[in-house]
Amino acid sequence: MNREREVTFSFCGKPIRAFEGDTFGSALFASGQRVFSRSFKYHRPRGLLCCSGNCPNCMMNVDGVPNVRICAEPVREGASVRQQNVWGSLEHDALSVTDKLGGPFTPVGFYYRTMIRPRWAWPLYEKFLRNVAGLGKLDKHAGRKNRYDVEHRRAEVLVIGGGAAGRQSALANAAVGKQVVLVDEGFVEPLEGVEVVAPGRALGIWEGGLVPVDAGRMLYRYRADHIVVATGTVEQPLVFPGNDLVGVMLPDGVRRLIEDWALKPAEKAVVVTVDEAGREAATALRRAGVEINGVYDLRRERVREIVARGSGGILRSVEIDGRKLTCDLLVMSGGRQPAYSLLSQAGARIEYDPERGVFLPTDIPAGIEAVGTVTGDGLAAAVPAASYNGASGKGKCFVCVCEDVTDKDLKRAIAEGFDSIELAKRYTTVTMGPCQGRLCHVPSIRLYARENEKDEATIGTTTSRPPWAPVTLGLLAGRPHEPAQRTSIHHRHKELGARMMWTGTWRRPHSYGDPEAEFLERLYPNRFGDMKPMRIRYGVLNSDAGRIMDDGTIARLDDETFYVTTTSTGAGAVLEWFEWWNAVWGLDAEIVNVTGGLAAVNIAGPRAREVMRRLTDLDISNEGLGYLDAREAQVAGVPSLILRIGFVGELGYELHFPSPYGEHVWNKILEAGEDFGIRPFGLEPQRILRLEKMHILVGQDTDSESNVLEANMSWIAKLDKDDFVGKWSLEHVRDRGLHDMLVGFVMEDGKVPLEGAQIVLEGTHPIGRITSSRWSPELRRAIGMAWVPTELAEEGKSFLVTVDGGFERATVRLRPFFDPDGERLRS
Amino acid sequence: MSELAFLSPGRASADAAWRSPLERALRGAPAEISDLSLTGKIEIRGDLDAFAEKGAELVRITPTRGLVLCDFTKTVAVLERLRDDFLAIDVSGTLAGLQLRGETLMRRITDLDLDSLPAAGAVAHVQALVLRDGDTFRLFFGQEYSDYLAEVLLDAHEGLSA
Repeated sequence: MNREREVTFSFCGKPIRAFEGDTFGSALFASGQRVFSRSFKYHRPRGLLCCSGNCPNCMMNVDGVPNVRICAEPVREGASVRQQNVWGSLEHDALSVTDKLGGPFTPVGFYYRTMIRPRWAWPLYEKFLRNVAGLGKLDKHAGRKNRYDVEHRRAEVLVIGGGAAGRQSALANAAVGKQVVLVDEGFVEPLEGVEVVAPGRALGIWEGGLVPVDAGRMLYRYRADHIVVATGTVEQPLVFPGNDLVGVMLPDGVRRLIEDWALKPAEKAVVVTVDEAGREAATALRRAGVEINGVYDLRRERVREIVARGSGGILRSVEIDGRKLTCDLLVMSGGRQPAYSLLSQAGARIEYDPERGVFLPTDIPAGIEAVGTVTGDGLAAAVPAASYNGASGKGKCFVCVCEDVTDKDLKRAIAEGFDSIELAKRYTTVTMGPCQGRLCHVPSIRLYARENEKDEATIGTTTSRPPWAPVTLGLLAGRPHEPAQRTSIHHRHKELGARMMWTGTWRRPHSYGDPEAEFLERLYPNRFGDMKPMRIRYGVLNSDAGRIMDDGTIARLDDETFYVTTTSTGAGAVLEWFEWWNAVWGLDAEIVNVTGGLAAVNIAGPRAREVMRRLTDLDISNEGLGYLDAREAQVAGVPSLILRIGFVGELGYELHFPSPYGEHVWNKILEAGEDFGIRPFGLEPQRILRLEKMHILVGQDTDSESNVLEANMSWIAKLDKDDFVGKWSLEHVRDRGLHDMLVGFVMEDGKVPLEGAQIVLEGTHPIGRITSSRWSPELRRAIGMAWVPTELAEEGKSFLVTVDGGFERATVRLRPFFDPDGERLRS
Repeated sequence: MSELAFLSPGRASADAAWRSPLERALRGAPAEISDLSLTGKIEIRGDLDAFAEKGAELVRITPTRGLVLCDFTKTVAVLERLRDDFLAIDVSGTLAGLQLRGETLMRRITDLDLDSLPAAGAVAHVQALVLRDGDTFRLFFGQEYSDYLAEVLLDAHEGLSA
């Protein structure tokens, strides 16, 4: 601690002075604060217990972040620290009524059986419970006030734990030239040749040596070749009535108050211990001027009963076998349990060692090493534990301080049949609180062993899961990395006032090589082998099950080269599909994805040819470039592939050219068409125009069950071909007969039904659904497409559609609404 | 056989306005981050040991697949020569390029092993080819991700001083 550097922060609005090296917890303790939180269920006052960031007793809201363990959080200038989980103040919390009166109403698992009747009142109960349950509250309006980053790092050797064994291992590895990183939750002096990350908390060990390390606002994702676990041990509490009173502490907490922050923890203390740690704490307390009113070393004397008593939740005295000793500090030491969780996550087996009375990691997997006390080295022989009996009238006896689980709760769970420790965990929530079992795991197993008259090895342990310590949501989320694709004309569209929508970007896998005609023959239900170079054909891609996957156009550029386009969102899947079948058939077709490299613009309308004439020297007369012809030529000085196709039903040209010229070509087209009144159009007009032509949109008009026969495209399925993907299934559909058909419809009264609206037959049950619907300004009618039973799929038949809560009549159309013979397309 | 000229930005006439996909996104970017999009980029497939093009850099992606980097103005000439020995596709317009300085900045956007470059892998979830020369890194990725990746990179750079 550096007393020359002062830091000021606020606690519930009051200024608090601290020194550099203080934590918020130590500074508040120095200012006289003793109650640091209210407990989870009973809202009992809680004070500092471990001073190591293990227990839940000091959780507060720091700068809007809830559940910060302030005993381990270094002070920051200007920070705002606030109490949490309190109605009123830490000293006077209205919800502590649950401690005094709530007992009969809140037994273990009460939420499964109380407040469920009468059923109609549940919403009221729920609202109440949601308001009182939980710990700190998230500030919903905090947004991205705090910045959290993720950094990917590598280490040859990653040492977790900066105690003596961890430091020794780090130095030894560094000495033989390894790149060593040491991570510790607290403060570690610099080590030569070792990169120290402290404070930093290893959250878990995943396969491939992945260890995420929580360093506050930064998550380091370490990939380590070798991991050394030196996580040491966790001091265990004793279980007795009143063991949660403010003033009951673990030895290491007391030691830190005295040695790290030069604080006098109390005036008068009593020590009850099963190991040296308690005795050492007594010595430190004496040195700090604290009067010691009794030291009970359970290794030497048998104590049958300990009862701590207080007023207002603050410790006043302790009764040991009926002898009352006044004190304002009770140091309890229940021994040390190796902190094996990370090893267990990595795959080590956990076994009970009856001699030392602890669970130990064994069978540690390759690439991971355990050193120091986490292996059980240096731990003393077990001492029979003191009483767990919380006799009536002597106060609650906590096994788990995080979740307020008492010995009575666990005994009741056993009586109800939850006799395995895994079931107890789920039913009583013991070990599921913020300490993640650090302080309650061993005590709960001991209690289960005793109550079930079995030994601890038979009871066994619960599964260790990451994260080893609670993590803020911001740290888990990191920075938002959600790739978004934009075309090279995106910004020009925005400048022209376009509203954008998400459709992904077009993918145009382009296949190249000798066997590609056969390849496409096998992939698509229609024919490609007979296509002439520089011609275009529409294709529908089927799954093995004969369902429609995707559609697009295929242009044959020469004998060996095909240019394939797909829908925007189906793109990735189509590319994978092509690559998969290419490998399966061993055809060795070369498939190159050139999507991003090309911009594409569609010029459509009766005067499209006149615009094109101003942009290219190519003969674009109907004879020179007919419907479904393709050509390579310069357009506006840019090498382009021109495809004469017409998704929107008008004379049209699709231009595909290198992306970097997206804006250039776009601007030239608008210039060339200016005196014809050319205007950009987006997806919405395109949807209306294609609907007028009854062109399907895969994914909109089809779903995962649709096939080309029932989608009214039987002309595309050449079932006489040798084979193609999905052929067998389509033959099956043909043989069983068609059930439903995709048809066009026109509304008789002009109302536009919702897409997805139901189709009914004369007011009875639903028989179909609308897939697309729009108002057609050209036809001045409401039109659309729908799936209907086959018997209705005849020109002129009618059905009812649900519109605005009623039914309206629609008439079936099988031919395009606009230009049914395609004269405009071919003009 | 089709020359696939429509894939080659280098074949456009001199008055056609080439525009980098990163031009807008990197306006005002710090000196550590710069645009490499105006680079000739050719994907080749075949026996890479036959590569003998002088003045062009070959990045091996697999034993039979590589990316050739060259001066943008020479792309078409290099492409034509490469076609004698390889299946060669001009991807100059397909890939955008970024250059950045600083290992920590790279670590904030990718979990690739920076000591084993060049490599192809995810950079902020976008597939990219990553090359290293000391503390300088070059990234080549689908040009449609330019705005996104530039945004992520500038944000990560800002985070270095946070």
